[in-house]
Amino acid sequence: MHASPAPTTPSSPQARFTILRQLLQDRLAADASDFVARAVSEIGAGIDATRFSQLIAVASRHSRRRVAFEPTPDELALAAAAQMDINIPYWNQLEALRVLLVLAHRDLDRDAFVEALEQCFRYADEGELCALYRALPLLPDGARFAWRAGEGCRSNMRSVFEAVACDSQFPAAHFDDVAWHQLIMKAVFLNAPLWRVHGLDARLSPELARMALDFVDERRSAGRPVPPQLWLCLGTHGEERALNALRTELRRGDLRGRRAALLALARAGQLPKVHQWLGGWLGDLEPTLAQAHHGDVTQAAFGDLQQDTPTKARQ
Amino acid sequence: MKFFDPHIHITSRTTDDLQAMANAGVRAVIEPAFWLGQPRTTIGSYVDYFSSLVGWERFRCGQFGIAHFCAIGLNSKEANNEGLAREVLELIPHFALKEGVVAIGEIGYDEITPAEERAYQAQLQMAVAWDTVVMVHSPHRDKKRGIRRSIDVAREAGVDMRKLVIDHNNEETVRDVLDAGAWAAFTIYPHTKMDSERMVEIVRRYGSERIIVDSSADWGVSDALSVPRTAALMLTSGIATSDVEATTWSNALAAYQQSGQIDVESLNASPSIDQRQLFADNSVLRGQAPRVEGGLTSLREKSC
Repeated sequence: MHASPAPTTPSSPQARFTILRQLLQDRLAADASDFVARAVSEIGAGIDATRFSQLIAVASRHSRRRVAFEPTPDELALAAAAQMDINIPYWNQLEALRVLLVLAHRDLDRDAFVEALEQCFRYADEGELCALYRALPLLPDGARFAWRAGEGCRSNMRSVFEAVACDSQFPAAHFDDVAWHQLIMKAVFLNAPLWRVHGLDARLSPELARMALDFVDERRSAGRPVPPQLWLCLGTHGEERALNALRTELRRGDLRGRRAALLALARAGQLPKVHQWLGGWLGDLEPTLAQAHHGDVTQAAFGDLQQDTPTKARQ
Repeated sequence: MKFFDPHIHITSRTTDDLQAMANAGVRAVIEPAFWLGQPRTTIGSYVDYFSSLVGWERFRCGQFGIAHFCAIGLNSKEANNEGLAREVLELIPHFALKEGVVAIGEIGYDEITPAEERAYQAQLQMAVAWDTVVMVHSPHRDKKRGIRRSIDVAREAGVDMRKLVIDHNNEETVRDVLDAGAWAAFTIYPHTKMDSERMVEIVRRYGSERIIVDSSADWGVSDALSVPRTAALMLTSGIATSDVEATTWSNALAAYQQSGQIDVESLNASPSIDQRQLFADNSVLRGQAPRVEGGLTSLREKSC
């Protein structure tokens, strides 16, 4: 269906399109399936920007955002071959369908596509915005969309922010330091799942640690608890100031805060401090300490700390 | 009881209103595109307005467990600025087929000028082409003639009368609308269009078939709780529960779901409020503990 076939590599847009279409095929009702067939062929034949945007919008008549995509382990393995396995687990079916329509565009490498996609963004509703932002990491030459992704992070709609920030290779690959740090700190403010910001561990920095520690000071001055996932931002940075902040958390925080502080100390290579500060009284922290000793302290380890907002300690 | 307010301008309402509506049982709303109390002068204002109807306003309602749908259209007042009107008509196709856009509206007549008629006809053609419901605003002045003409012109354009909702009716116009086979909506305003007591009498006289109650609450003196308040009065006045349910929930749903953009199953499920869907510094919630609930039950609204 692509007019000028580019060499197909396992993670080329064509390969991604094929896999996504296969995954969707097994899920869609007859009506939606017909719509996909018609839309894909219309898009593949060449299409103006307005019609392209309209097809992406009207997909909502054929598929619902309520339906989760929920790939099986086998499907995830298939997606992994095209480097889509981190993207698809949190999509809904309507989003998957819209991403498929984006990948069906035959001019993905060309300026005409950039303009067409920007027109989609300009007129997009909330659901379309989420789908379009989820498509970005799957497109060639992502740098073309860096400004657009930054706009997504400025959204006041948490759903849209997460569509850019979470489960996507895009921000770590294409955001400059200012945009990257803003994304991370905004995720903390929103209590969006920071552990799902792909590439976080590989892009920690002294500047991000400084911002995080300033935020710790602000929260404590206001008499409010520190969001546990904030400690994920430190890594090996922050030095004495980080250690002092973590010591306070380990002694006075709620259980989730203390567990997060313990993991953060392990990430900083400072696990012996736990015993030094707490003596033998680990109590509820024992399982977390065992986890840390196993080296299970990557950003993914913070996943089970991310349950809901720490309302208990709120004044 | 749950309520569907199929005409309210959420963009003009505060979160206090949204909270009170949720507490009173309003589960779904339709926000038709209208003017903003003063005329817009550039197309960009329209782009951002339509965007807010399918974006931020929907999101804001969602934080209170209220499903937000909207109607997209060029209103009759601004149809009289013909240069801008042409641009708006070109913009409508970019928005009218989106998720949750349940109608072309609110369109129709204000002064009943030729320019209004051209804009109305052009939009009726879009609605026919896209198989979408039409929400018609009826004029304040010369209402009876305006409504008859709205129906005739819609019929000429090929609009299925079952997909036509005429709004802001009163005792003098309801018969024409019902006889045409269209839906008759009534706006409950404290002092002008229709009040709850008169509405009770209309339902007593005409029954509940194809009759819809709405608030049309906007930036003027109006009441975002008109629908639940009127329902309460209907019940205490001896109107059958099934008629109250029809005029304040299921008729609106039946009329507007014809556009294929309402997920009825999702709407009928227990609403979920998730105020974690927000940004602590810039969202509707500023520092309060977020409410996360599976459903809205036993919430009390004293004033209703």
